[in-house]
Amino acid sequence: MTYLTKKYDEAFINKNSVRTNYKKLINWFKNQDNDELTKKNSDAMKFFQNTGVSFKVYSNDNKENLIPFDIIPRIINYKEWDKIVRGITQRVLAINFFLNDIYGQQEIIKHGVIPVDLIQNNPAFLKQMIGFIPPQKTYNHISGIDLIKTNSDNFYVLEDNVRVPSGASYMIENRDTMIKLFPELFSRYKVFENRNYAKNLSEILKKSSPKKTNRNPNIVLLTPGIYNAAFFEHAFLADKLGIELVEGKDLRVINKYLNMRTIEGWKRVDVIYRRIDDSFLDPLSFKEDSFLGVPGLMEVYRNKYVTIANAPGTGISDDKSIYSYIPDIIKFYLGQKPILKNVKTFKCRVKDELNYVLDNLNKLVVKEVHGSGGYGMLVGPLASKTEIAKFKNKIIKNPYNYIAQPTLSLSTCPIYTKKGLTSRHVDLRCFALLAKEKVSVTSGGLTRVALKKDSLVVNSSQGGGTKDTWILSS
Amino acid sequence: MLGSTADSLFWMFRYIERVENTLCMIESGFQLYLLSSNNLYNEWDAILKTNSIRHHFLKKNNSLESLNIINFMFKDPKNLNNILLLIEKARENARRSRVSITSEVWEAINTCWLYLNEELNKKINESKIQTIIKNTREKIALIFGFLERSMLKNEILNFCYLGTFIERFDNTARILNTRYYLLLDEKKFRFEGYDNFQLEMILRSISSYRSFMWKNQNEIKANKVSYFLISDKDMPKSLMFCINETIKNLKSVHKKNFTKNNSFLNAISIQKKIKQKNTNFNNYSFLNSLFKLNMTLASNIEEEFNFQ
Repeated sequence: MTYLTKKYDEAFINKNSVRTNYKKLINWFKNQDNDELTKKNSDAMKFFQNTGVSFKVYSNDNKENLIPFDIIPRIINYKEWDKIVRGITQRVLAINFFLNDIYGQQEIIKHGVIPVDLIQNNPAFLKQMIGFIPPQKTYNHISGIDLIKTNSDNFYVLEDNVRVPSGASYMIENRDTMIKLFPELFSRYKVFENRNYAKNLSEILKKSSPKKTNRNPNIVLLTPGIYNAAFFEHAFLADKLGIELVEGKDLRVINKYLNMRTIEGWKRVDVIYRRIDDSFLDPLSFKEDSFLGVPGLMEVYRNKYVTIANAPGTGISDDKSIYSYIPDIIKFYLGQKPILKNVKTFKCRVKDELNYVLDNLNKLVVKEVHGSGGYGMLVGPLASKTEIAKFKNKIIKNPYNYIAQPTLSLSTCPIYTKKGLTSRHVDLRCFALLAKEKVSVTSGGLTRVALKKDSLVVNSSQGGGTKDTWILSS
Repeated sequence: MLGSTADSLFWMFRYIERVENTLCMIESGFQLYLLSSNNLYNEWDAILKTNSIRHHFLKKNNSLESLNIINFMFKDPKNLNNILLLIEKARENARRSRVSITSEVWEAINTCWLYLNEELNKKINESKIQTIIKNTREKIALIFGFLERSMLKNEILNFCYLGTFIERFDNTARILNTRYYLLLDEKKFRFEGYDNFQLEMILRSISSYRSFMWKNQNEIKANKVSYFLISDKDMPKSLMFCINETIKNLKSVHKKNFTKNNSFLNAISIQKKIKQKNTNFNNYSFLNSLFKLNMTLASNIEEEFNFQ
């Protein structure tokens, strides 16, 4: 099968010529027996199935699905990676300053950098957090920054996920699988370790403990339960961190403190690594009918007897309408030029931009401001006329709810098929951890790949797969 | 440890043990079916009663047809103790307590679940029944093997074993309860149609026929079978063995002050009762009271350790 490189391909310049990063890999690949590779490919899926690595996609049959895994790694060299690390570090710090400010003095609004209505009318802005300084002044302990590449020079930031970003467990499992399947590749390439993610996460959670608890902090991971799509990851991380995996029903506020129910009675909790959304955290403060959270949790939090990571209200900074202001936010708080570029974004709330969007829907990708997981979006060039017309009405009805971006030509990477390598679009989710104004970015990340030909949607909830991602150490 | 984790561990192993016990019963019934035995219907009747599913089965079926019963026990949703549902619940609890068990134990449970789903979700072919039972029992043995070899010897393991032995006690007590009339003292009362064959079937339904014969010089007698199932401390399915293991694990999990806990006191009283009855078992109410005491013991454990 001939390898087609229509867009920017990270491995091949054209079908005969391989880029430096991939030369050793492609040579190795050419010498492999295809039947053997096919077998290893299915071994990989079996390995995931037996270990129970799954991602539940909400559907009628209620089945657990495996996220397809591709055995061809994605390779990024040190120079490219170094720029990414600097760019993400800058972004994560700026976002934390922004959050402290927006729930504090709101200097950024006073200086006219961000329009006030963007905050005021935003459901992700939690009034309960106004005037509150979280422990260690940290909001976004854990961030998942999505990057895309369009040509040889640039990675762009597509999204900053700072609510409850997931995917780190797949990053680690993918590496484990690759080492099991192809140990010989790791002697050919020097690849940075990514399994220190859990250790680093454990450290930042310990550091985030409120000052009032002067002891070895008791950290728990709060999950919505086994029916949640990302439950596998919750259990995986709790296991790696050596902490209890709890549900709301295991926790209770007693005498101003948060406690968990153990076989020997109640035990105090100091840090919650939460994997449930803000609105479910505390039925007394948010959604009254939430069974996932803990009544009275917010009061304990406001008294600084417990740390919640990420802090409630963090979502205001990864909202897709705030996204377009991130370069300004970096300039405002750090006085620096953004290292990583944003994707051009049209804000439908601004009249001129709305008109442009409505006139050019067939060329644009339109997203809901609070949407995620690839739901509720329109990919103009691939949509039918009726779909476009329908979406147009939705935008006109509520322009505040939408932003639009040009259809980017995402880079492609080779994936393995029985007939040989073929190119597919990819993005990259990077994981950054923040404690005491220090950011650590885990080397690698989760490459998500659109398995359908020409598709640009890489989300696992939409049939995307993943790849191991290698950062070369030299 | 979280109370809810103890809950999940306890129930995970109750369900796994229940799968194993149910498989043994299906196997003993299926053997009779293959031999076209005259006792086939009595045997199925007893098996359905033991599992408290006779009523549910007869709602759907007019007769005790072997393959229908086997299908019912394997996967009929009307049967809340069907194998497919039991393994589903076992795995669900394993998922809940994923952080507490080793990846070896988890993978053993997960592969057992994958296997049963694959085999039972299609039409169950008569020729495959024995293979399915054999393979599943092997997979369950793997779970217990990894439990023993890969887990720390701490309270996590105690709750796994508490679930196992409470459930096994329940199962043996149910079998005795359903068929107590076979175990009556022969001199006092002889049940019509009583013969050694039925005693043999009791032993087969807990797959302990060979070990009984080995211990008793190939001679089957009612009082010896009773002793074997109730009082023999060496027999891994006997009531005595189960209660001894339960006591051992309760001591270890309570550490200090175990003598003050209801669960411990209750377990000791069960042990005493069995010891006192060593020679004479001809009493339905005796068996029934043991069965009920074991249920109380289970709820004592759930209360004392803050299960949900």
